[in-house]
Amino acid sequence: MRMLMAGLLMMASLFVNAQDEYPKPSKESLDYNVYRTKVSVPPYGLAKVKAMIAKLTPNDEEIEKLPDNLYNSLSLREKFTYNMIHGEIYSQNCDPMPPVEDEHKKIFAQLPGAFDEYSWSDKQTQFFDNNRDSVIALIKESVTRSKRVGVNYKEAIVSMNAVEIIPFLEEVYLRDKKDHDILTVFLLLMKANKYQPFLASSSFKKLYGDDANYGTHIVYNSANEQLILQRVNDFYKNYKR
Amino acid sequence: MKQFRLIFFLVLVASIQTAKAQSLKFATIPAGRYQVGAKRSLINPERKINLPAFEIAVTEVTNSQFAAFVAATGYITDAERKHNALVFEPGLAEFRWLEDSTACWRYPNGISRGGISSKMDHPVTTISFSDAEAYCTWAGCRLPTLDEWEVASRAGANTRYFWGNNREGIRKYANIWYGRDHTTADSTDGYMYTSPVASFKPNGYGLYDMYGNVFEFCEGKTATDKKDSKLVHARGGSWWCSKNSCNYFNSVDIGTQNRHASFSNQGFRVVKAPSPGQER
Repeated sequence: MRMLMAGLLMMASLFVNAQDEYPKPSKESLDYNVYRTKVSVPPYGLAKVKAMIAKLTPNDEEIEKLPDNLYNSLSLREKFTYNMIHGEIYSQNCDPMPPVEDEHKKIFAQLPGAFDEYSWSDKQTQFFDNNRDSVIALIKESVTRSKRVGVNYKEAIVSMNAVEIIPFLEEVYLRDKKDHDILTVFLLLMKANKYQPFLASSSFKKLYGDDANYGTHIVYNSANEQLILQRVNDFYKNYKR
Repeated sequence: MKQFRLIFFLVLVASIQTAKAQSLKFATIPAGRYQVGAKRSLINPERKINLPAFEIAVTEVTNSQFAAFVAATGYITDAERKHNALVFEPGLAEFRWLEDSTACWRYPNGISRGGISSKMDHPVTTISFSDAEAYCTWAGCRLPTLDEWEVASRAGANTRYFWGNNREGIRKYANIWYGRDHTTADSTDGYMYTSPVASFKPNGYGLYDMYGNVFEFCEGKTATDKKDSKLVHARGGSWWCSKNSCNYFNSVDIGTQNRHASFSNQGFRVVKAPSPGQER
């Protein structure tokens, strides 16, 4: 417990209030940014889906949706691939997360966007909700094969409130403890489900309180890591399905 | 008869140009060597630039001004053509927008959320960068460059905001979002969506709404743009922006967007031609 408390004391928030300069990220930090913002590309009907998308956006100028008849002709797995690699609507002008220093040493409150200037449409998030079990199974299958959880998979997990995937994600995380955004997924799931011990914690206040923003983080260290894992395991055990 | 037609045509052109000029007020930004950007920012690194004098509109382009353009040209906006504008209503998760096929500049957040008949002095929104360029072509002006916008917004200051580095000063100068998130409506500053232009105090150059009301499209590329990128940029904040979301209501941040995307928090202000580097 003392160790956990010490970890809490070591937290730092990145509150960009009144800051007139941005830090210059190190190569390690920039490499981690590339790593954490990569999407997973599912293999199911990939060539077919990519060809369909290429026809939709020949000039790469305007975002387009696959017409209903073509979309409906895809198998569930192909729809999964389409939705995982193609955001159908525009994202707004501002980038919630400008580059930050030592990105690899941070546990962020929020996930980075998966598609930069594009986002999932309501139809796409509904696909995830309506096919929840299949989507979770396909994510697991893909992650097991590729040994990584792309930012698009993480966004889908949070969007579906897929609490049942927590043990699997923890197992993936513990393999190399490299992908701290998996810890962020745990934080977001506990927040979405209003898990009281987390909501009452000082880390919640730091990460999601009145002064928090989309760049807010806590320091990555073993104490904070253990605290999150312990909490998310307790949350999972007590989660009422 | 031919002479009469020619005279009529010339009078018509002159009266249209006069009407355009009357509807926009400009402030002159003096020529000089300016500091822009922020130390170690990747997208907008700190640097010194030389700028010739230019004239920038003191307010964002209004619905009334855009309506004159549409009436004169019959122009159809991207949102009217593609029916894919993104709109807002309270209750949405952070950074989520609703696609509304009925939304366009006449109904910025969709027909069910009201039109602009009582908002003709508000900035035009739910238009794209492409639409803003079309307006400029008609009006004989252009969008500010990224550097021009920043110099105009700073009004001589080298700080993050034109009044210094304390964000709290924003309350006097900009229509932004004060709610913790966007799940419930926020009208703390008197407005949930746009406000009439010039409802808040101007900066030292007499320019209104530089950090709020609507994001403003700018010409030019950033340090991090790929060489062949077709993406465009907009600056300042908007009525949607809060300290807990993107914090873009300042002189440093630069947003990125698709040139055909239409959001109800995007608009523009104009600069009198000619372009930088053009002979005067």
